[in-house]
Amino acid sequence: MILDSVKQLYRYRWLVVELVLRNLRLRYRGSALGVFWTLLNPLLFMAVYTLVFAVFLKVGVPNYPLYLLCGLIPFTFFGSSLQQGALAIIDGRFYVGRTLFPTVALVVVPVLTNAANFLIAMPFVVVLAIVLKVHLGWAVLLLPVVFLAQLLVTQAVVTILATINVFYRDVQELLAYAVSALLFLTPIFYKVTSIPIQYRSIIALNPLAALTDSYQRILYDGTMPDFSRLGYAFVVGVLGLLVANAVFARYREAFAQYL
Amino acid sequence: MSDAIVVSNVSKRFLLPSIPRGATVKDLVLRTVRRDANRDTYVDALRDVSFSVERGSMLGVIGRNGSGKTTLMRLIAGILKPDAGSVRLTGDIAPLLTLSMAFHPDLTGREGARIELLALGRSRAEAEALMPRIVDYSEIGEFIDAPVRTYSQGMMMRLAFAVAISVDADTLLFDEILAVGDVAFAHKCLRSIDDFRNRGKTIVLVTHDTEKVRQFCDLALWLDQGELVGLGDPAAVIGAYGNVVADLIAAED
Repeated sequence: MILDSVKQLYRYRWLVVELVLRNLRLRYRGSALGVFWTLLNPLLFMAVYTLVFAVFLKVGVPNYPLYLLCGLIPFTFFGSSLQQGALAIIDGRFYVGRTLFPTVALVVVPVLTNAANFLIAMPFVVVLAIVLKVHLGWAVLLLPVVFLAQLLVTQAVVTILATINVFYRDVQELLAYAVSALLFLTPIFYKVTSIPIQYRSIIALNPLAALTDSYQRILYDGTMPDFSRLGYAFVVGVLGLLVANAVFARYREAFAQYL
Repeated sequence: MSDAIVVSNVSKRFLLPSIPRGATVKDLVLRTVRRDANRDTYVDALRDVSFSVERGSMLGVIGRNGSGKTTLMRLIAGILKPDAGSVRLTGDIAPLLTLSMAFHPDLTGREGARIELLALGRSRAEAEALMPRIVDYSEIGEFIDAPVRTYSQGMMMRLAFAVAISVDADTLLFDEILAVGDVAFAHKCLRSIDDFRNRGKTIVLVTHDTEKVRQFCDLALWLDQGELVGLGDPAAVIGAYGNVVADLIAAED
């Protein structure tokens, strides 16, 4: 079943490319700063969060802005994908079942759009790490692997949410709270060592925490990622995608009745 | 002559989830707890339908509303997959179905047409190259760059028809296209369809206008409640269909 989806996406790759580029253009059209908004947005948040967490609350993490961005930029990729992706099928109702337009394209486009934004913003973090003299070794070459794991996890969650949201419309509203909660439950603003030891194993179940940890180790600590945790994120991503695709495939032809 | 479309023992059923409209996450929890997914039902849209259409000929599909005509079109177009049986096509296909929703209303006509072309498997460069002919044929003028929601039904139909014929596919599907739009354009459509047939293209036309089927089609197919009840010479099939419809009207009176 997952192969069917992959084949369809390959067949309609030009359509997917067109829709992703269209989203990117729409986002930057009419703004003089253009693509810099992608950088400016996390930088503005970085300033506020640094003030609150490093200066006011004194979390005691050196080079706090870099530490923060290592988690915040990947989280923005995840969170924005979820919020836009959950609506993907509903927003695409004009296409569902009426033309050859493949429904599966609707659920990958928001994820790929946000992945593109992530790839635009991430080099900035690498530059910041170099400026702050983090010892970047060969581990940097593993960044695409971490990105791939995140892409799988994100796509799995988005596919499930987009499918469920067709039938249960308040998913969208709950999602805003869930994303905020997850932002604070993932060690982005603080170090995992700040979490009381009895809660750490629960937090570790969050695949996003494993991914954030990998980005932080590579770009902030200048070490290799923890391969068991990165592997865990991969497993969650692959299994999640298989389950998500099965749910999507079962209900795909029923969407039109509810849109 | 070889067959352009071969439909063999095709059945299609639709999942009717036991989820009420306007359900909330609370219902999702209940559905999971009570295992309501086991209570999902199915409806048979098509049962064991078989027929073939020769290359270069024109098939007219008739039947009352809800008889499975549109499902059959979607199966032939490849939008849906059959649960049983197979649909085999020779060459590529351009479907033109349910016009009221042909394009996303927020897109301009040009953007909508481009997406449609990409959905028909064309590359971005090919889509760009086809654009001038589409604008020209649809007679839509400068409205091509206005949002589709400002279009009339007729304009939408003209644009959709222009897109469908621009890709020069081997098989064309038309679902109720002659019912919308003005007479002049309907005439232009019929001329184009005739021209296509003369060039050896295969055409499937779904319509309530049995007169058009008698006039233009080589073969007629009559569906009733998801089953094929008539197939063959248009005059004979339409005659039988007309009798049943007349009986129904008489029974209601």
